Amino acid sequence: MGVTTTVYRSDPRLARFDPLERIVYFDDFDDGYNGWVGLIGNYENSLDTMLPGYQQLMQPMLSNVTHWDTGSHGAFDGTYCLKTATRPVKGQQNVTLKRITFRHLGRIQFECYFCFKPEANRMELSELDVRSIGVLFDLQHGEGGDRRVMPHLRYLNALDGRPMQKWQYKHRRQPFHDIGGSGKTVSHYHLAPEGWDDVPNGAQRLCYNEVPTKINWHYLKIGFDLKTMSFTELRCNDRVFEVGAMQPMTMPAMANLWCMLNVCLFVETDVDRRAFFYVDSALLSGEF
Amino acid sequence: MSLARSHTATIARNELWSDGAATEPYEAGWAREAIFFVRALEAKVPLQGATAHVQLSPDGIHWVDEGGSFALPNHDGGLSFGRVERFGGWLRLRIALPDGAALRVIASIALKE
Repeated sequence: MGVTTTVYRSDPRLARFDPLERIVYFDDFDDGYNGWVGLIGNYENSLDTMLPGYQQLMQPMLSNVTHWDTGSHGAFDGTYCLKTATRPVKGQQNVTLKRITFRHLGRIQFECYFCFKPEANRMELSELDVRSIGVLFDLQHGEGGDRRVMPHLRYLNALDGRPMQKWQYKHRRQPFHDIGGSGKTVSHYHLAPEGWDDVPNGAQRLCYNEVPTKINWHYLKIGFDLKTMSFTELRCNDRVFEVGAMQPMTMPAMANLWCMLNVCLFVETDVDRRAFFYVDSALLSGEF
Repeated sequence: MSLARSHTATIARNELWSDGAATEPYEAGWAREAIFFVRALEAKVPLQGATAHVQLSPDGIHWVDEGGSFALPNHDGGLSFGRVERFGGWLRLRIALPDGAALRVIASIALKE
């Protein structure tokens, strides 16, 4: 065990993670939002110019996961976790992200503990109410580079009431649209429902746990190499998936996104009921 | 020295309210006080008596009027606010507008420990 490993394993909050050499951020939501914010679409002059997919998005919350039947469930540790909630309309999505830039073209790794549940407003199992949860990186090479890269991953829980329970990735792009009239702003709704491909052998059953008000935290680790712009790892709980065939979404570099390193969390409901995506905690590390 | 945490969340962006509208539930059990701000992006008259009622909830599902309310803006660009404290875990606004009125808004909630 190296010195770095010894140090982080002496902290119970960090010991449940497997970070790379340098921790870029470790966000425990008992400390606040830590810069996690709701995504907003691009606009010029009027909010009406935002693409329809972005109009639905809302801000995240710090949640103590309180339910009508038991009271506060609490977070993985402490009291609060980060909650991303959809509106109560089938197919609605919501996205929370953290925006930073990178200083080294090397491996990065995002880890978190997560749970998803539907709003518990019916006394039914409701295990197929949440359509999907996912994580994407929004990246762009440093100045002089030529690509913006958006690796997308999701766990497709259900679709139109049918259980799916598998991991998927998305590399197919949506069309870009001009926004406003300046010629400087474009937008694409990359979370449109079409274009997802299955992760090879990516079926996995998670711990939903019997009623909508029981919360079990799951571990997720996603590795990506900024130098080769390719996936290096996908792990959820006890399963490690083969990532060699998984391609990220790519597009030409854009005018003002150099060295961008955004991590986005997203959730989608499969029914006319709110879907909730909880995270506690989140850790980004890098090999540099 | 530890400063009190604060956070402003937009709770309705470019949404068109008619009578009976409500904002999406917002969890804020960590905060001791909150101010709702509502700015009218577009006001469709008549808006006399247009009111936002603060609502509380034990679970984010069932809602009850807190008792506090404030007048909503009645012209394009108008801004109004309402304060609330000791509100428990959830907050939202219930909107009461006259027949035929509509209000396109950007609304936020400023929270503080």
